Amino acid sequence: MKKANWLKVLGMGSLVTVAGVLTACGDGGNDAGGDGEEEVTIRLTGWQSSPTEQRYFEETIAAFEDEYPHINVQVDTIADQYMDVLRTRLIGGEAADVFFLDAFEAPGLIQSGVLEPLDDYITDEFDIEDFQEPLIDAFRRDDQLWGLPKDTSTLALFYNEDHLEEAGYDGPPETWEELEEMAETLTEGNRYGFGVVTDLARLKFIAESGGGQIVEDNRASFSDPSVLEALQPIVDMRNEKEIAASPADVGAEWGGDMFGTERASMIIEGNWMLEFMEDTFPDVNYGVAEIPTINGEQGSMAYTVSYSMNSASEHKDEAWQLIEFLTGKEGMEIWTSSGLALPSRESVAEELDYVDDELYAPFIEAASYATVWADDTNLPIINSNFENQFSSAFLGNRSLQEALEEAERVANNEIQD
Amino acid sequence: MAKRKYTKSQLREAGQGYVFLSPTILTLLVFLIGPIIFALFLAFTRVQLLGDTSFTFVGFDNFTRMVDDTRALIALRNTAFYVVVVVPVQTILALVLAATLNAGLKGEKFFRIIYFLPTLTSSAVLVMIFMWMYRPDGFINSILGGVGLPTYNWINDPNIALISIMIMNIWATAPFFMVIYLAALQDIPDSLYEAADLDGANAVQKFWHVTVPLLRPVTGFAVIMGIIGTFQLFDQSYMFSGGSGGPDNSTLTVVLLIYQYAFAAYDQMGYAASLAVALAIVILAATLIQRKLQKDEEVY
Repeated sequence: MKKANWLKVLGMGSLVTVAGVLTACGDGGNDAGGDGEEEVTIRLTGWQSSPTEQRYFEETIAAFEDEYPHINVQVDTIADQYMDVLRTRLIGGEAADVFFLDAFEAPGLIQSGVLEPLDDYITDEFDIEDFQEPLIDAFRRDDQLWGLPKDTSTLALFYNEDHLEEAGYDGPPETWEELEEMAETLTEGNRYGFGVVTDLARLKFIAESGGGQIVEDNRASFSDPSVLEALQPIVDMRNEKEIAASPADVGAEWGGDMFGTERASMIIEGNWMLEFMEDTFPDVNYGVAEIPTINGEQGSMAYTVSYSMNSASEHKDEAWQLIEFLTGKEGMEIWTSSGLALPSRESVAEELDYVDDELYAPFIEAASYATVWADDTNLPIINSNFENQFSSAFLGNRSLQEALEEAERVANNEIQD
Repeated sequence: MAKRKYTKSQLREAGQGYVFLSPTILTLLVFLIGPIIFALFLAFTRVQLLGDTSFTFVGFDNFTRMVDDTRALIALRNTAFYVVVVVPVQTILALVLAATLNAGLKGEKFFRIIYFLPTLTSSAVLVMIFMWMYRPDGFINSILGGVGLPTYNWINDPNIALISIMIMNIWATAPFFMVIYLAALQDIPDSLYEAADLDGANAVQKFWHVTVPLLRPVTGFAVIMGIIGTFQLFDQSYMFSGGSGGPDNSTLTVVLLIYQYAFAAYDQMGYAASLAVALAIVILAATLIQRKLQKDEEVY
């Protein structure tokens, strides 16, 4: 009898442990097949930066659910450190069926094989030719398409009309030299003529305006003399001429904050600023113009984000139906009618009449010549090293050449292949 | 002597003991020992987790890579500087605070509560409050400017950013050690102070020759916990710099770097694990050195 108890205790002990382990590993795999009209839930992961954005996004999803009543979309927003969370979920097998993917991060995920190629799903009816070429190219790799651009954003110059008027100017600068000149006149007290955001994501087109390349063969090449020469004026504007400052210099969270509180008279920002200014600083009298030309050439940055499909998704057909709708003409029109982002389809841009809107036109114009913020797998490493070192040159702690040579060395050291 | 024989009932009793222990042992194996062994294993491999998972044994490559890794060296330098400043300052501050509270002044309870409040704040909230106060036009600069002292760009100046975190952390952890000191102070027999009185010792001499030596074991505890805690600095610099360790790598700590390699970069988990192992060795060494120093001057 005693022996039996002994075994019972042992049995119970291990059972509890095993049960615990099993529950921990269990996943909610409770779905059946999923073709035809069965109820299916599709998970979608993304980010939302403002309540307005949230509202338009929900509207777009609701329109999809009306059209496909058997598909439920469960939207799951990651508030911070999006890529870290997404990557961790992909590794753990817990990622959503469809997710946002920034063009900047796309090559890394494509290479690791966790995305589903979309070419086989695309029908003629979908009209893929309608997408702006550079935007869709950011998600093309190995002759396959790994995501469809949900929208795009570009940069343009915001200028404070009151400040310009006070200083006797009747319009925004058209060349970079003019901008510097005006910034000098506009700087007074604790107000700077020009606000600079020191991300590579914004500076890349300036850095490459002299003919150099920031990234060559997937490795950093910041110390290229033409890159240094192109970036030097930005640093000088802060340290030598004292007519420019970064948002952090004046205690602002970001460029919009700096411009809205009138601590900068001019700043290069994206179209997301328009909605922000309307909500937060409706009294500021401002205008938008295309970014001044550098050496007679126009330049800007374009950012794009795709809807991509998880290759481990169990409902690929429904996931595709969702992507097809959201990036299709109907879905994109609902989404981009908010003005928070610009359509990546030409037909939708025409439909929404953005070209005729004084504030939106510079952004639409920029889309035709902007540099898309995307490269190869190592861009994230290259970017973070640039940011770290460039800021030290920008703050005047060391020369630009020294800082960028260091950044290049460290970045290429971190790149392992 | 012959090998001791166990009777049947003794064996059964021992067996039962182990059976009762088995859930705990299994839990420890799965959640404590297992991860440590796995981390050691990772430190010697190159891991690809995303997509097709693969582990390639690379020997000591991950460790030799550290030597050339500028950011690892910067992180180590920042962390060491942080430890060297924060641990002594917070320990001394804690001792002084405890001694003043123990002197039997009026309103002692009130001050004890006030002093202890920072420890109760979660570090995330603490960082947010401080970042607000550290703004260029914030509370701290207003006060400094108001009395004619120079103001600083606390968050965005690479020369200052780490010091800002130090101030914040000392303010938050000193009270915790103060409470421990306070408990130890109450344990010092009054007779020792009376004897010192008879010998004609003044207050400073009593503090220096009676209080401080008798508190040595507690000081040892405070220093070791301080060393371990400060070497593991992560959350404050993570929030302070938005995860980047900037400006200009000035708030990059070893744990933050480990986090960056493990979760923010592709396929560098093995290198991150090797950094974690290296950090564990550094902490172990620092603790052993501290204990060695402490033992040499043990008074009783």
